[in-house]
Amino acid sequence: MHGEYKTPGGKLVQVDLDVVDGHLRNVRVTGDFFLEPPEALDVIAGALEGAPADASEEELAHRIAQALERLAGRVELLGFSPEAVARAARRAIS
Amino acid sequence: MSELARWRKYRWQLIYGEAFDPAMQMALDEVLTYRVGRGERPPTLRFWEWTAPAVVIGRFQSLRNEVDLEEANRYGITVVRRITGGGAMLTEPGRVITYSIYAPPELVAGMSFQESYAFLDAWVVEALRALGIDAWYQPINDITSANGKIGGAAQARRHGAVLHHTTMAYDIDPEKVPRVIRIGREKLSDKGVRSAERRVAPLRQQTNLPRETIQEFLIRTFAERHGLEEGALRPDEIDEARELVRTKFGTWEWTAILP
Repeated sequence: MHGEYKTPGGKLVQVDLDVVDGHLRNVRVTGDFFLEPPEALDVIAGALEGAPADASEEELAHRIAQALERLAGRVELLGFSPEAVARAARRAIS
Repeated sequence: MSELARWRKYRWQLIYGEAFDPAMQMALDEVLTYRVGRGERPPTLRFWEWTAPAVVIGRFQSLRNEVDLEEANRYGITVVRRITGGGAMLTEPGRVITYSIYAPPELVAGMSFQESYAFLDAWVVEALRALGIDAWYQPINDITSANGKIGGAAQARRHGAVLHHTTMAYDIDPEKVPRVIRIGREKLSDKGVRSAERRVAPLRQQTNLPRETIQEFLIRTFAERHGLEEGALRPDEIDEARELVRTKFGTWEWTAILP
């Protein structure tokens, strides 16, 4: 399943995922955003992996934000946000 | 510290002239970023020349979502992935102007990432205005004008350095771009900016000047504003980049890292 969201004045986020037994699986996050360090992309996608398929946009965004906070060192998202990824994910699910 | 004082703290070196293939361009960006980060080469401005056309996709883009691989193949266009984020672009020899800035992070210390984009391209906006183009910086990362978008920039912070590279349209082929690069509907969804965002206003159309003349004017502007010394790629830098083409940038594993 595929969902997209473009932050106004920002960049496009695309989320591809499967729903297996009510949980998000094989989550992939792509887009024309900027992210430092690049490895943080796996953390963002990983934060959604296994999330309940009926989680709200807010809950999904919170999972991503928390996972990024746990990362050592400075993470920079430019042109998108945990909320933007969450919205693209919700669109993929529904 | 004033903007110019920041630039003038360094002795900038220019690399200009030699043409490379698309994968080699990607590799040179990584090698030179690394070298500047380690203090093995001075802060550098590199203007790119291409030997072959390419679609260059951003670090975080899905290969198949962005590129029609069959069409690219039919046109003989190589698809490569760069180390910076941002969107896909079509770069054909003689049809774009591309440069990279490799700088110590101190150059942009205290700025947000977004502020640093405008700062690192300010000399270009100034040069374009001197050429009579009503140009300005459009956050996050676009150089635009009253007639339409001119180019876009992308950055990476790696290996203790800042890489900032920008591609501007000189004489794009308006038919080819939508054939090889997919542009989804969601990307065009910002209200009111749909047509303005899409419209590209290439420099040739805006200046009637040869590409080389514009490029030399840009270099002169940088030199007068920041200081600039003639430089060249070192043989060991080229060797290292060739090795990176073999192990990374020329491989399907890297290009399709996000399939």
